[in-house]
Amino acid sequence: MVDLHDIQATVLRHRPEPYFGTHVFLHIDDAQSGREFLRRLAPHIGSAADWWKADDAWIAVAISCPGLVALGVAEDSLQSFPEAFQMGMAARAERLRDYGPNDPKTWEPPFGSGQIHIQVSVVSPTEAKWRRTMETAQRQYQGFSGVSVLLIQDFGAQPGSLNSLGYKDGIGQPAIEGSGVEPLPGQGRPIKAGEFILGYPGEAGVPLAMPQPDALGRNGTYVGLRKYQSRVGAFNRFLRENGQTDAERELLAAKLVGRWRSGAPLTLAPTKDDPSLGEDPQRNNDFIYANDPRGDQVPLGCHMRRMNPRDTKMSVLTDVNIHRIIRRSTTYGAPYDANAISEQDDASAHGIYFLFISAKAMGTLEFLQQEWINDGTFMDLGNERDPLVGLQEERNTFTIPKEPVRRRIHDIQTFNVLRGGEYLFVPSLSALRWLAGHG
Amino acid sequence: MATQTKKTESEQSSNIEQKVQKLRELYADASDIGKKALENVIRLVKSSTSATEPAARPETAGRIGRRQGKVSELTVIVPMAPGGANRLRGFLTALHGSIGNELVDRVGTVHDMRFVFLDNDSKLLFCTAYDGDWDAYIEDFATKIPDILDLQFGDTEGWPGVRSPKVKDHIVKHQITADFWYVANPNLTVVETRRLERIGSATDEFLDKIS
Repeated sequence: MVDLHDIQATVLRHRPEPYFGTHVFLHIDDAQSGREFLRRLAPHIGSAADWWKADDAWIAVAISCPGLVALGVAEDSLQSFPEAFQMGMAARAERLRDYGPNDPKTWEPPFGSGQIHIQVSVVSPTEAKWRRTMETAQRQYQGFSGVSVLLIQDFGAQPGSLNSLGYKDGIGQPAIEGSGVEPLPGQGRPIKAGEFILGYPGEAGVPLAMPQPDALGRNGTYVGLRKYQSRVGAFNRFLRENGQTDAERELLAAKLVGRWRSGAPLTLAPTKDDPSLGEDPQRNNDFIYANDPRGDQVPLGCHMRRMNPRDTKMSVLTDVNIHRIIRRSTTYGAPYDANAISEQDDASAHGIYFLFISAKAMGTLEFLQQEWINDGTFMDLGNERDPLVGLQEERNTFTIPKEPVRRRIHDIQTFNVLRGGEYLFVPSLSALRWLAGHG
Repeated sequence: MATQTKKTESEQSSNIEQKVQKLRELYADASDIGKKALENVIRLVKSSTSATEPAARPETAGRIGRRQGKVSELTVIVPMAPGGANRLRGFLTALHGSIGNELVDRVGTVHDMRFVFLDNDSKLLFCTAYDGDWDAYIEDFATKIPDILDLQFGDTEGWPGVRSPKVKDHIVKHQITADFWYVANPNLTVVETRRLERIGSATDEFLDKIS
């Protein structure tokens, strides 16, 4: 059994729907103030106990490697963190295939600068609770010398909880062994807790290397934060150029993701959207690909099948259960507009803050970026890339399997551009108190 | 992708002159055969119009090793445990040709593997070419085909077992990055090669039928 009382709520609680929230990025000016801030904040951080029935707002806190340094964590302890975490996401750009428009040199400040020490996030199912909880969080750092605010980003409050390209998202999270609830239909067998939380056996049967001392590492995990800006104009133009009618465009939009806008999967709704299916968590993920080996329903290269191939027979020997990650997508900015087709629409500030949570978030993110997002080899798709988050090169294609001949769409563009990213450690509640008291 | 600004022709030729100069200095102590060969090759390079710079993306394989396009190299020299060479040789000849190869076929990223025993069976030289980054699939091997890996390397000294969290550091300790590595088809992965083979036969079959 997993020690839910010691794990931060944000690791296991699903994003509510609707949702309201804020990410706050903080800088610690001196170690003592930083520790004092954590001491004040710690009692307000929710635990994962009874996470499946929680309907309240919660506060989450995560700390970057420069943040641990600023808190005065000892050198040998810092050295016990994975290399990629110590280096930071920007320095791992080559491994993450973050080139060209995604290059950290082009990121918005303060991302990638080493300035971000602490991320505090508030997530809430209602606007009123969000405001109240945000006030609680603010009281801990506002007017508190020694901790300065770098960036405040509100998110959520989207009509229908749709993301910046107009899809329902966040469906199909991995089930975690010992986390207290039965998996949802289609979630697959529960995955060993050690893949997501430090201190427990992973899929290989042994616990992952854990930051030292145990008091700091145990029941913690990592989050990889990626801020994407959606190029809504390019996306809509792509749909218009490759679909004659509304129905054709919506089918193409569904083929890119593997789900209709409502979340209804193509496996269960192959020809038209079924919003009641899309919103039903008991049904909207309950399928495998046994009857769709070629991808006639769900293209092999679509976003959903890439990120979770399930029972797909792949060209490369892969254990699908060790590359799973908890995804928390938080959409910011103006809601999706299907009529936005100008180049200006590509540059406007809306998109998604993705949070990837896993005990090996850095390794998994690098694997996903290299193998499942920016390559097609594992699905025998050559150079094709993920249509949603892939970094497309010139003349890239997207293949839609079809009888008798596949349709290959040319010149797919990068629809989500990376604007920033950070690796952060998500300490357990006891580790937060440890950090506040030690260093 | 890492783009490289195009060099002007004059920049390129002065670059080549510098390299030639450096090579002549290096070869001052070489044998007459070496010196003569070098001059012949230099003449060839200078007369050729396509004296091109190396490809714009000579990436590494990630943590260690060289990479050309989509293909990476790994070379390891590691001491054998006492009696290990005998066991490993037995396993390779008796079992690897059948079941082992079949399992490695399924991996789908391994182009080749070479086991060579050195110094009276006291060391193993292991070389392979594979697709992608150095450590992308090591965890997958650990959960999908751990036994084949543990049989291949279990008789080397200090092998922690492929399931061990220490296995990557262990490999790195014995891995030597090649100074130079030539790859004929840097963009052909194992998977892509298999696909092209299938397409080739299908095309021939189609042409046979309509001719």
